[in-house]
Amino acid sequence: MKRTGLVFVIAIICIVSLEAESSGQSTATYAPEHGFSAQRVELASIQVASLKEASTEDEEAEPVESSGETVPDPLEPINRAFFEFNDKLYFLVLKPVATGYKTVVPEEVRVCIRNFFTNLAFPVRFANNLFQGKFFGAIEETCGFLVNSTVGLGGLADIATAVDIKRHDEDLGQTLAVYGAGPAFYINWPFFGPSTLRDTIGVAGDLFIDPLTYLGNYWYAPYSRGLNILNETSLRLGDYESLKKAALDPYVALRDAFYQNRLSKIKE
Amino acid sequence: MRRKGWIGIALLALWAGCGFGPVWAGVPTEKVKETTDKIIAIVSDPALKDPAKEKERREQIRRSVDEMCDWQEMSRRSLGRYWAQRSEQEKKEFIQLFGQLLERTYIDKVEGYSGEKVIYTGERVDGDYAEVDVKIVTKKNTEIPVVYKLRSRDQQWWAYDMVIEGVSLVNNYRTQFSDIMAKSSFEGLMKKLREKSAE
Repeated sequence: MKRTGLVFVIAIICIVSLEAESSGQSTATYAPEHGFSAQRVELASIQVASLKEASTEDEEAEPVESSGETVPDPLEPINRAFFEFNDKLYFLVLKPVATGYKTVVPEEVRVCIRNFFTNLAFPVRFANNLFQGKFFGAIEETCGFLVNSTVGLGGLADIATAVDIKRHDEDLGQTLAVYGAGPAFYINWPFFGPSTLRDTIGVAGDLFIDPLTYLGNYWYAPYSRGLNILNETSLRLGDYESLKKAALDPYVALRDAFYQNRLSKIKE
Repeated sequence: MRRKGWIGIALLALWAGCGFGPVWAGVPTEKVKETTDKIIAIVSDPALKDPAKEKERREQIRRSVDEMCDWQEMSRRSLGRYWAQRSEQEKKEFIQLFGQLLERTYIDKVEGYSGEKVIYTGERVDGDYAEVDVKIVTKKNTEIPVVYKLRSRDQQWWAYDMVIEGVSLVNNYRTQFSDIMAKSSFEGLMKKLREKSAE
């Protein structure tokens, strides 16, 4: 009896949060953020402003440097060395292993494994939504987690996305940025790849909330992260190759792609 | 009677699933959609699937892309502040080489097409500038947000940038170009471009 009551409350919360979102959609169609309406309006005006900025730099002779934000890279020589190391690591170890894994494990299963790990990382997203004051995000994340953990068979199936419960991918690096922390400088870690000083601190902090940290002494504890990385790589084979193929300087291309993607996530 | 009720519920669910926001497609969206549809038709055409037809297929894609992309504007924006210092001849050669590279990159991307859905989610127009929001849904059910940036010229909309998952193509190349220009010269950059297009 108690359990039915709990399910009922959860269902109501889900409906309320979905309602709040859809009513917001009709007023400001292009604001990507799910939050308070004031936030939406603010975002909308930023977007209009950015479009206008583009139109002022119209003339042929005028230089176009406006939106190009770049990350400081004082460690470039070391970063480049690690970039080369990671490049070799990818082509000589990770890619062959992931390709073998891909031939053995069907894609449907690999997507399920990805879903499982994504669902498991819910506490990180939930906490950082709260840290940033995104309460609707936190509620929707909770709904998604509960739906996927139950109906989605422990997170293997991403039912939440199918029924339009959105994911709010927040991490501590983004939280720090929201509170005004700059990226400091770019770091290309061996094994882990592109990051900044701020985001490295973020990842380290998020580890305290990450359930994978608390697997304890079970035999599978050390393998779980490895499986996650291998599985992700198998689903993204070819991405790095095409970045390299399109780039004049792959190191700079990767640095910039990482940073631009980060900026867009922080803005969301 | 009961059957009708179920159909009604199904329709309602479908309508709810489509979202409540007003759906209106403007001219910039139509331009992007027209080109995208053409390209999808080419890459899904069984008659062109044959590896022997690769050249013809790529040529057809190229023609469709040319109808949408403003290579000169992309080149100007990617070269940033170095653009104004170039002679007409240098600009011409640069547009040609860089355009080729962009085209090839784009064609490589769309050639990997395997039934992804393309959904048009929004549009903003501000005078001569417009942005078209697109969501590409892969079979693995991941969503890739793409924003096309367009500019109107000669009564037509032309794309001058593509922002994929927050990464602007033009900004990415501008960062690379200014890095190369700072460390070597325009000639050095042209040499790298030539090497790249010969690959």
